[in-house]
Amino acid sequence: MPSRTGLAIVSLAAAALMTLPACSPSSATNASSTTPRTAWGDPDLQGVWRYEGAIPLERPAQLEGRASLTEQEVKERQQVERDQEAKRLAGNEGAAVGRRSVAESPIRGNEYNSFWQDHGRPRQVSTRTSLITDPSDGRLPFTADAKKAEARSSARYGVGPFESYLDPDTGERCLTDGVTGMMWQGPNGGHNRIVQSPGFVTILHEEYRDRRVIPTDGSASAEATAGSRRSASREGGRTHGNIRQWFGDAIGRWEGDTLVVDTTNFLDRTNYEWANIWTRPSESLHVIERFKRIDANTIEYTITVEDPMTFTKPWTAVIPISKLSDDTQIYEYACHEGNYAMPNLLRGGRADAAKTRSSR
Amino acid sequence: MRARSRIAVTLASIAGVVVSACTTPVSTQSASYAPARTANGTPDLNGIWQALNTANYDIQAHPARPALAIVPALPRTGTPGLSRATRVDVPAPSVRALGAVGGVPAGAGVVEGDEIPYQPWALEKKKENAAHWLERDPEIKCFMPGVPRATYMPYPFQILQGTDKVLFAYEFAGTTRTIHLDKVGNSPSPSWMGWSRGRWEGDTLVVDTTDFNEDTWFDRAGNFHSDALHVVERYTPTSPYHLAYEATIEDSKVFTRPWKMRMTLYRRLDRDAQIREYKCVEFVEQLMYGQLGVIDPATGTVNK
Repeated sequence: MPSRTGLAIVSLAAAALMTLPACSPSSATNASSTTPRTAWGDPDLQGVWRYEGAIPLERPAQLEGRASLTEQEVKERQQVERDQEAKRLAGNEGAAVGRRSVAESPIRGNEYNSFWQDHGRPRQVSTRTSLITDPSDGRLPFTADAKKAEARSSARYGVGPFESYLDPDTGERCLTDGVTGMMWQGPNGGHNRIVQSPGFVTILHEEYRDRRVIPTDGSASAEATAGSRRSASREGGRTHGNIRQWFGDAIGRWEGDTLVVDTTNFLDRTNYEWANIWTRPSESLHVIERFKRIDANTIEYTITVEDPMTFTKPWTAVIPISKLSDDTQIYEYACHEGNYAMPNLLRGGRADAAKTRSSR
Repeated sequence: MRARSRIAVTLASIAGVVVSACTTPVSTQSASYAPARTANGTPDLNGIWQALNTANYDIQAHPARPALAIVPALPRTGTPGLSRATRVDVPAPSVRALGAVGGVPAGAGVVEGDEIPYQPWALEKKKENAAHWLERDPEIKCFMPGVPRATYMPYPFQILQGTDKVLFAYEFAGTTRTIHLDKVGNSPSPSWMGWSRGRWEGDTLVVDTTDFNEDTWFDRAGNFHSDALHVVERYTPTSPYHLAYEATIEDSKVFTRPWKMRMTLYRRLDRDAQIREYKCVEFVEQLMYGQLGVIDPATGTVNK
């Protein structure tokens, strides 16, 4: 436990720093000698990583106005985590484990039993009340339209109607849950393996086998900045180009020991159903991520998301991501290949429709 | 002219036999090539590679033909005296609209000796697979392509050499293989892309892959395997731009002996070459699920 408390303190300090404008070059980029290096001299981020914290993305309503928990609250939550772990190990499912709200559950509701969920160890409790550090209220700055879309999405999720294959959310269609949550979400496969080769950082996410091959030859001068739509370019004059993708077009660069990844050129997939609409890509989405190894077992991952289609202003979250033991593997996630849920949902949808017809 | 062209055809078929019987491809003959090295000291295979052959249509030698899905032309029963002497194949109705785009280019094949040593029952199943290509080929459903098929699909893949893992990032269906150079435990279950352990033998990256399921194919011609499949691949740089690729296929449930495929992989040199997304799941949902819902979004058909 002492090491966890230490982590919490480091994270808190980091959170305080991150109230700076997210895209200004970090002042803490001195090439510290403690950062491990690859054989070719880049900071070494390789290994399997996972967010194991209990900090929710958004600050829960009951903690409004509070950026941190008291020592007593931290102790209580640590006990809850231990109790939940014990209940899971005892074979309890869903609500019987003790997570009932969206904020508490890694998946909305509890419609997936423990078989699907990979909780790992009890989650790490910290004093922080939200992963979002900007805006200072710890809440996603949704536009009015996006709030409506989020309410609609929440009402539909796990409920339907499921009239065609376009009605389940992108996760249930085995497409993806989106790039903004990829590094730290994924209750049934949230592990990320980072592999580096000269000029590239590749992130392999277990869930949906999401993969990002990020070139690291971007240049700072050409980086897009939050608030501007100027596209980034690589040294040598290569620009982001004009090929839109679900995961956009990521351009990375090393800023001291920090990997900075600037991503634009996302496809518009706002017409699909998203379990969480804040993860949906649109053509105006712009994501800037910073990966900084703050100790041997922690990457401080900072993500700034800008998208006028969904948010009134950019938001930033600071997320401590833990390194798992060296023998941790990413396993094959054959989601689409074994998607029995889709035909079953659609058969259910047709049965419902037939019932409605016959009762008329 | 007629006699000459017949001679040409005969010569070509003899040449074909000679080429396919040749067990030493040109690409492995440049043993003197010293490849560039990574900072770790191993040969540098990093980059984007692609096969340039027709093995994904059929790993064995095959002539050009109008389509993968073929049906015999209907006899002209309406006009007495004009019935055809020999059978003529035409594209199946489901692929007819593709015209020349749906055709199959000829290829010399990539199988050593051009013979796949199927057990008798398995040869029958292969033929049946080929006849039911449209319904059965996992590629059509955007399923992970398996090994070694992922190597010679008409999409590039990127080799990313990390410290103790090598990633093979395939474009098709966003599939990735992790090649473990370090010691790892056994696979917990069978899988589409298998469980890959790698080692260096001289300048050759040798990848030994096991723990496959039985759901992938070798090509669009119905060549298949069981869950006893064991593949040993050898990637040998023969120039900065070429890899000699060899895959030894072993599957005692389906074949009578191990057999090999060989081909050259080419480095993609275009300045903007990169692995793009090919998230084909959304491309096949209508095909797979369109008729199952209350309504098919593509046709507006209401299913009752």
